[in-house]
Amino acid sequence: MATHAEPGTAAPASDWSPYPTDYTSWKVMAWMGPVFLLAFFCLWGLLARNISPFPAWAEPQAVWDHYKNLRLPIMIGMSVCLTLTACYMVWSVAVSRVMERIEGAGGLWSKMEMLGGTITCAPIMTACAIWLTAAHEIDNITPGMAHTLYWFGWLLIDLAYFVTSWQIAGASIVFMRDKREKKLVPNIVGWWGWITILSFFVVSAIPFVYTGPLAFNGVISFWIAFFTWFFWIPGLSYFIIKAIPRLQAEDAAAGRTNDS
Amino acid sequence: MSVWRERVTWVWLGLVVLTCVTTWGLSKDLFRPAVAVVGIFLIAAVKVRYVMLDFMELRNAPIPVRAVFEAWPFVVAAVILGFWFATPTIA
Amino acid sequence: MVVVTTERVKPRRLPGVEGIWVFIGADSVIFAILFLTFMQDRAKDPALFEASRHTLNLNLGGIDTLILLTSSWSVALAIQALKRDLIDQVPRYLFGGALTGLMFVVSKSTEYFQKFAHGLTPGTNPFYMWYFTLTGIHLVHVVLGTSLLTFLWIRSRRGAYSSSHREVPESVASFWHLVDLLWIVLFPLLYLMKAA
Repeated sequence: MATHAEPGTAAPASDWSPYPTDYTSWKVMAWMGPVFLLAFFCLWGLLARNISPFPAWAEPQAVWDHYKNLRLPIMIGMSVCLTLTACYMVWSVAVSRVMERIEGAGGLWSKMEMLGGTITCAPIMTACAIWLTAAHEIDNITPGMAHTLYWFGWLLIDLAYFVTSWQIAGASIVFMRDKREKKLVPNIVGWWGWITILSFFVVSAIPFVYTGPLAFNGVISFWIAFFTWFFWIPGLSYFIIKAIPRLQAEDAAAGRTNDS
Repeated sequence: MSVWRERVTWVWLGLVVLTCVTTWGLSKDLFRPAVAVVGIFLIAAVKVRYVMLDFMELRNAPIPVRAVFEAWPFVVAAVILGFWFATPTIA
Repeated sequence: MVVVTTERVKPRRLPGVEGIWVFIGADSVIFAILFLTFMQDRAKDPALFEASRHTLNLNLGGIDTLILLTSSWSVALAIQALKRDLIDQVPRYLFGGALTGLMFVVSKSTEYFQKFAHGLTPGTNPFYMWYFTLTGIHLVHVVLGTSLLTFLWIRSRRGAYSSSHREVPESVASFWHLVDLLWIVLFPLLYLMKAA
């Protein structure tokens, strides 16, 4: 019984090649990063009043009143945001493909980035659904339940940070390894990624504090942790969008395009 | 390389002296709080500046980068002192 | 004819790996934001902050500052030696940096345990929340820096670095000096800032 493929029978490397490439789809996907950020910022952040979040120290009745008074904007913000969060997944595919051009087809970190970006959608969508439910059902729930749902959403959306950390780490590692004289993504973005990753860790304190910088609405756990990520997305997106025509030109020069 | 001829060694000595001045001098009760706090933070800003210029080698950095980093300790000190003066006196 | 030139002999450059100064800059700005927020919270209850400040050990804090300054000095000497290709001198200065870094970690840990023994925790009051958070995040930086210096020390003993291969040591050194300068502000902010 053979336990390995005989030489010459394994699929040749070109079968795994990322060529030929649909550059148009790739560009559309790359733009989904800024689309996600705009949607998240406007719908979750502004409309649903999460910039800045209703305080962690709020008592159940105050939370209930918050959902009652802002029921409609929260419902609109959270429902549309939930749907548009999928754009983050789409974007991560575009980023991953650019990474593969550096790391090689099927690269480990490229896969990690794509998975990390996709799975990041899960806690965001679920938390939005939880908060949407709290608003939707506000007349049927007690202040205690409103408080519980409020915390449920925050604990979920915040503490899943490590999934996103691995996504960002993959991107930082691979883009910094780019051997092109002018890198597809400059080191600055990679280093900003590391700052973002490091700023996430302190968020683990949120179950234990209700006031101060580490509370989920505090300067560190909210303002620094979220805004480092908020700047990373468009920063990386800009260079990904610029990278695609560069890679197309490289492919054309090497005779690797669809037309050849 | 003679350690005692190195610029970084003289900077270090200066920083050590300034640390002793603030920690065991200006913090004592014989200075009015305002004098002590302003003195301590101005000295801290100067210390940071020397760490940046001579340890971090920003003296030889591109001017725009050097300017931004050199501004940091003084902006930080100014903001801290601004808040201090705006904070009500305790009874 | 004497030609006088005003050009620099060496072009201006930032030490270390490309882009690391973005990291250092961002870290500095984040800490500046934290200092600002601390002062904001302090303004809400200066009496409480002052009373709590009195429980901190100034002498230990001052010694910690001297330890970190000495550590930075040692690391700076390592880089100077590296620039002049005095390769056999580099390890001892990196070791000095790592050792003093470790001393800071031990000192800070002892301070924390003393606080815990007196029943003072991050949850005790807003001052202690800030004290533990700020010094804690700084301590994480110290641990990271000390680990990197140790790594550099080991590699330098094998001759991995030279004047033409010094971006990695320079990067770690720059980070380490950041750790030092952050403490230079943190120490007076928490320990020395008396109330009006």
